[in-house]
Amino acid sequence: MDNLVYLLPLFDLEVLWVIALGTFGGLIIGALPGLTATMGVALLIPLTFGMAPVMGLNMLIGIYIGGIYGGCVSAILLRTPGTPSSAATVLDGYPMAARGEAGRALGMATVASTIGGLFAAVVLATLAPQLAGVALKFGSAEYFALALFGLTIIASLSGDILKGVISGLLGILIACVGSDPITGGLRYTFGVSGFASGFAFTPALIGLFALSEVFTQMERFGQENKVTLKVAGRWPTRSDLRESRGALVRGSIIGTIIGIIPGTGSGTASWIAYNEARRSSKTPEKFGTGYAPGIAATESANNAVCAAALIPLLALGIPGDVVTAVLMGGLMIQGLAPGPMLYITNPDVVVGIFGGTFIATLFMFVFGMALIPVFSRILMIPRHILAVTIVVFCFIGSFAINLNQVDLYTMVGFGLLGWGMQKFGFSQAALCIALILGPMMEANLRRGLLQTHNDLMAFLSGPITLLFLGLAFLSMLLPLIARSRAGRGTSTPSQNG
Amino acid sequence: MRTSVALAAAAASVLAVPALADYPERPIQIIVPYSAGGGTDLSVRLLADSLTRQLEGARVVVRNQPGGGGSVGTSAAIHARPDGYTLGTGAQGPLALLPHLGGTDYQLEDVNFIALFGRNLQVLVACANAPFQDFDAFMAHAKDNAVQVGNSGAGGANHISAEAFAKAADVKIESVPYPGSADARTACIGGHIDAMVASPAEALSASGAGQMTPLFVMEDERIDVFPDTPTAAEKGIDFTWSSWKGIIAPEGLPEEVKATLQEAIAAAVEDQEFRTAMEELGEFVVFEDAEAYEARAVADSEVARQTIEDLGLLGMNN
Repeated sequence: MDNLVYLLPLFDLEVLWVIALGTFGGLIIGALPGLTATMGVALLIPLTFGMAPVMGLNMLIGIYIGGIYGGCVSAILLRTPGTPSSAATVLDGYPMAARGEAGRALGMATVASTIGGLFAAVVLATLAPQLAGVALKFGSAEYFALALFGLTIIASLSGDILKGVISGLLGILIACVGSDPITGGLRYTFGVSGFASGFAFTPALIGLFALSEVFTQMERFGQENKVTLKVAGRWPTRSDLRESRGALVRGSIIGTIIGIIPGTGSGTASWIAYNEARRSSKTPEKFGTGYAPGIAATESANNAVCAAALIPLLALGIPGDVVTAVLMGGLMIQGLAPGPMLYITNPDVVVGIFGGTFIATLFMFVFGMALIPVFSRILMIPRHILAVTIVVFCFIGSFAINLNQVDLYTMVGFGLLGWGMQKFGFSQAALCIALILGPMMEANLRRGLLQTHNDLMAFLSGPITLLFLGLAFLSMLLPLIARSRAGRGTSTPSQNG
Repeated sequence: MRTSVALAAAAASVLAVPALADYPERPIQIIVPYSAGGGTDLSVRLLADSLTRQLEGARVVVRNQPGGGGSVGTSAAIHARPDGYTLGTGAQGPLALLPHLGGTDYQLEDVNFIALFGRNLQVLVACANAPFQDFDAFMAHAKDNAVQVGNSGAGGANHISAEAFAKAADVKIESVPYPGSADARTACIGGHIDAMVASPAEALSASGAGQMTPLFVMEDERIDVFPDTPTAAEKGIDFTWSSWKGIIAPEGLPEEVKATLQEAIAAAVEDQEFRTAMEELGEFVVFEDAEAYEARAVADSEVARQTIEDLGLLGMNN
């Protein structure tokens, strides 16, 4: 407990101010489509050169935590995932906001993000060295099994299994565009050099969810009289919280575990958490209709990833996701080499980061709650004006991310695709999951085959591989059993996401 | 009609001949062909800060244009307006390697080299649980068994360097591609591959913690951070390799502008604040003028071409 003395420097006014500033800035960056937490951290690293390590690093962590949280704002209000990690929040957040309960949805998301963030921060501070070893257990076979398990979510998430599978396979096919993960050869780029690394992910998501929704709304403009929405509320209701208890616990745990596994991220975590919450719920049919536990699961998971991704970074020197890879640069510029030795050589920095993670999460809660009425006012803008504004943001956001004009074609193309899918009842969520996990599955399958000289049995060995393959099998089977048990009379409502 | 033609011509001539005497009079952009936050990005950001201190009258800013392994941003820099306000980062992969794989809309000959400011030294390291712990054991093992060497992307710098070494040393390796260097490092520390090419900074912190063991340095002399690690050259294998980065521009850049930039970079590299920050990052600062820079790029490009041809990847993406 001697280490607690290292927390004292955090309570310097200047340090607190910098963390608050970082968290607030991150929140805004995350809320704006096309500006991601990764970018925010990368762009502000030079600012930290002159700062003491604990101060500079905690500012970056504040941006990270604020940025991942901020993504939920535009996902809920505008159906535009501000960061890829909040794509799953669209499913229940947007319908709730569309009902006129934007405040309640944002409140639920804020509370869930805070709980997930604090849970993972406690794990980070207490068990990091013990848990970090998990990160090293993941070889190609384990990643493949994890990706396969993730993909089976499609089965339970789509009302119509056949259409869900079609969406998922389409997503996997789309993810093949770009350079081959093993040989480096270009596939399906038709000579357009801008597609050499495939369709850019964020513009694709913005098109898929946001632009498609604008198209759908435009179709309705003529028929509806009501042009603005109510924006009541700020806190989730008591029954929201009661119903979400399970989702919060599962989301926090899933987010923490996925966060520790390097190379995965908050996108994967939030989809798995959403699916788990839905699977274990007594009322799974409410998911996708603006149901609080749906928001609770995804937001607790994606913010748990933030602190959890720091676990392998600090304990082993390997980043848990893209943002922590950038943070690692920030650490090294301070002359600190992340890894097991950091605990011995610089306990002040390690403990300072633990403390900073807590403080930034608390700031995130305060700012989030304070800003809810401001954010939800966006929906008081008449819908036809809002629709045009969203289109403008879709374009700006898609271009800002890589400054590549090809990304604009991607965004519009996915917008049209998403609109068509929505119209004919194909799940956009299934496509999104396949875009995240398809490349991970392919690359690891082929890398594993390369390393074992085409021995498929290697994918059926090892406890972690078998665990995830077993989960994948169950996850395919359970919806079928549930369906046959429910009989022919009741059919699951289709997921509109 | 005639006046408008005259006006257009006048406007064109004004645009074509920037007021050189005043260069630079507005912000200069350096395109980094990778996402923000990587090693190259951070070192160019440091250089941009240092250049801003050197060049009177202009701020130097970084613009990230990632994609295609660096070919998208590099192409943008090579095809930019040659006025000295848009420069590029000349990194080894996009300049000396990618054109051989095909699919780029530029060749090494299209590059206007300004100056090189940094090299990335490379160390071959043994990963956790590898059956060898030093150079001799590695060579003995690799004579009969294919060693699995991780890299940060097929056709990338450390894929080519590992294969080129294997050819020079006449040993067997199997290259295992990962999406990036962080992924390869994770696999290495986890013992999922036998060896990988690492930077001295990566290797130093990891070897201190017992996660990796340096086998040899790809330089012609031993380096300060690993005084006990041999070079390939002293073991009788004619092989050196390092990756590098410098500043490039489009062809047609006015000579005066080029001279101003070269002077500024030479001064920026000497800046103490820049050097300290680069050292902390584990970057090896070295200045080379346009001729030396170009010669280095051409030499590496030739080695890479041969290696890529041996691997059967030449012109794969054309």
